Amino acid sequence: MTTLTKKKGIAQISIWIALSLLLIIIISPIFYAVLASFKTNIEIFTSPFSLPKNWSFDNLINAWQIGNFQKYFLNSAVITVGGMVIVALVACPAGYAFAQLTFKGNNLLFYLILLGMALPAQAIIIPIFYQLRSMGLVDTLTGVILVSAGLALPFSIFLMRNTFRDVPKELRESATVDGAGEWRTFWSVMLPLAKPGLVALLIFTFMNIWNDFLLPLVLLMSKDKFTISLGLYSFQGEMATNYALIFGGTVISMIPSIIVYLIFQRSFVEGMSSGANK
Amino acid sequence: MALFHQEGRIDMYTNESSTIIGNPVLDKERIKTKRRSKVKKTLTALSFLAPALLLYIIFMLYPMLDAVRYSLFDWNGSSTTMNFVGLENYLQLAKDDIFHKALGHNLLWVVLSLVLMVLPTLILAVLISKVKYGKTFFRAGFYLPSVLSLAVVGVLWSKIYDPAMGPINKLLSSIGLGFLAKNWLGEPAFVIPALVIASTWAFYGLYMILFLAGLQNIDYQVYEAADLDGAGPIRKFWHITVPSLRNTMNLVISMVIIHALKGFALIWLMTQGGPFYMSEVVSTYVYKAAFSMNQVSYASAGSVVLGIIVITFTIAFNYYRERSEA
Repeated sequence: MTTLTKKKGIAQISIWIALSLLLIIIISPIFYAVLASFKTNIEIFTSPFSLPKNWSFDNLINAWQIGNFQKYFLNSAVITVGGMVIVALVACPAGYAFAQLTFKGNNLLFYLILLGMALPAQAIIIPIFYQLRSMGLVDTLTGVILVSAGLALPFSIFLMRNTFRDVPKELRESATVDGAGEWRTFWSVMLPLAKPGLVALLIFTFMNIWNDFLLPLVLLMSKDKFTISLGLYSFQGEMATNYALIFGGTVISMIPSIIVYLIFQRSFVEGMSSGANK
Repeated sequence: MALFHQEGRIDMYTNESSTIIGNPVLDKERIKTKRRSKVKKTLTALSFLAPALLLYIIFMLYPMLDAVRYSLFDWNGSSTTMNFVGLENYLQLAKDDIFHKALGHNLLWVVLSLVLMVLPTLILAVLISKVKYGKTFFRAGFYLPSVLSLAVVGVLWSKIYDPAMGPINKLLSSIGLGFLAKNWLGEPAFVIPALVIASTWAFYGLYMILFLAGLQNIDYQVYEAADLDGAGPIRKFWHITVPSLRNTMNLVISMVIIHALKGFALIWLMTQGGPFYMSEVVSTYVYKAAFSMNQVSYASAGSVVLGIIVITFTIAFNYYRERSEA
């Protein structure tokens, strides 16, 4: 028995060491970028793996100012929040209807929505561009918000439908018997019960829209409308070989997603596994 | 209750609340009110669905049909007339060497992603699930790359692969392997593998989470029984873990394939399909044709082909999954 526990202890320690080493390797690109963002260009070339001689914030400050990242942050925030609001307002009632209400064509409509989930954005981005152009919404934040919300919709409806399907139907029925209309029941009885699903939906939508590259690339032209992703991309092009500044911009761009992740880490993982397991 | 949405009188007899049966006058009355309530129900449901359907039609359904429509015409995106050319664009694609190359690269991308992502991620998940202390820490740490935007990943990895200052080449020369240093994104044989490695780094986290969730559902007792039979860890992995995770495995494999077919952002950020089309995939080729060469209808045909491949695969896979899981 003691040899067995000893054996298990050794196994535990070796797994632990293996995972730690692997984690260091996996995370090293991020560390490399953070360290490089404190270095001068010469330091990046001559001593790529050592700590910076002076922990100077010059690269971050310069990148922030030269690269106009303040503007990009604001644009990303507007687009992301706008998209999240629309997705939540639209997908929750729709998911609720598919899960709880009986009406003709329920299944057919739902399959139509599922088809949208399979459709890659790349396949329809060309018509979307010309459609927005005819609506006068190319190169506007509104246009990106609407398209982002539209493309996020199929998965969001799917997620909310699964969430509302897990809420017992009896609750809704007893609320309607008490005389509450369907909308009232939805707002005051059902939606509060779907909170975990809603949180997962908001996190998914935040990550998808905040990190998106294709839609801003196609739909935005003028620099003062750029998102962080697009801004970083153009900043990298302009700075060419000024690696120190590029790393500064890269680190600036990664901070918000990492902060959001650290705050919502638990909901992230739970949302991921529940969202995909259904 | 469940039969409410069906037509006619059937639900009259099955509905528990209907107590009076057979009285023709009352029957008619009931049918009338029921119809009215059915209309009301549909209208209520519609009020819940309308905004979603509107957005869906404007930004997905209509563009979907439009993509097909564009592909049957000859249009450069700005002229006011469109000439109908039938399947001409598709025939052109069938003869286009670069398009073939792009499709081939998509395929290579799929294969490399499967190799790099599925088994290694599964082994990682198994190791994390075995650890007693710090499980949450490892899970959170290994997931970290997945929260970065693709723009960050693309810029970061193009610097990592940089031939002059990139840490890979620096590391190789510092340990005396300088002759292995390469222009990783500039050489035909290395560019796609290099890109797939960056993409794996950015995406494996989700699959790890899925495997971890799947591993939690395996009955612990099966392992204990295997322990008693004296099975080693490798045998247990192949004979218990892998078969028990079949559903998760199916899901992950299909997601990896779909993802590999859709890949655009990282390639565009790091190589734009270059050098000399060596990393061109369908989506980058289509993007260039549409937005820098004004071949809108030709590009639409390409994107329709991509859409059909992805949708067909998704539907076929889901069909297979439903059958095998039932």
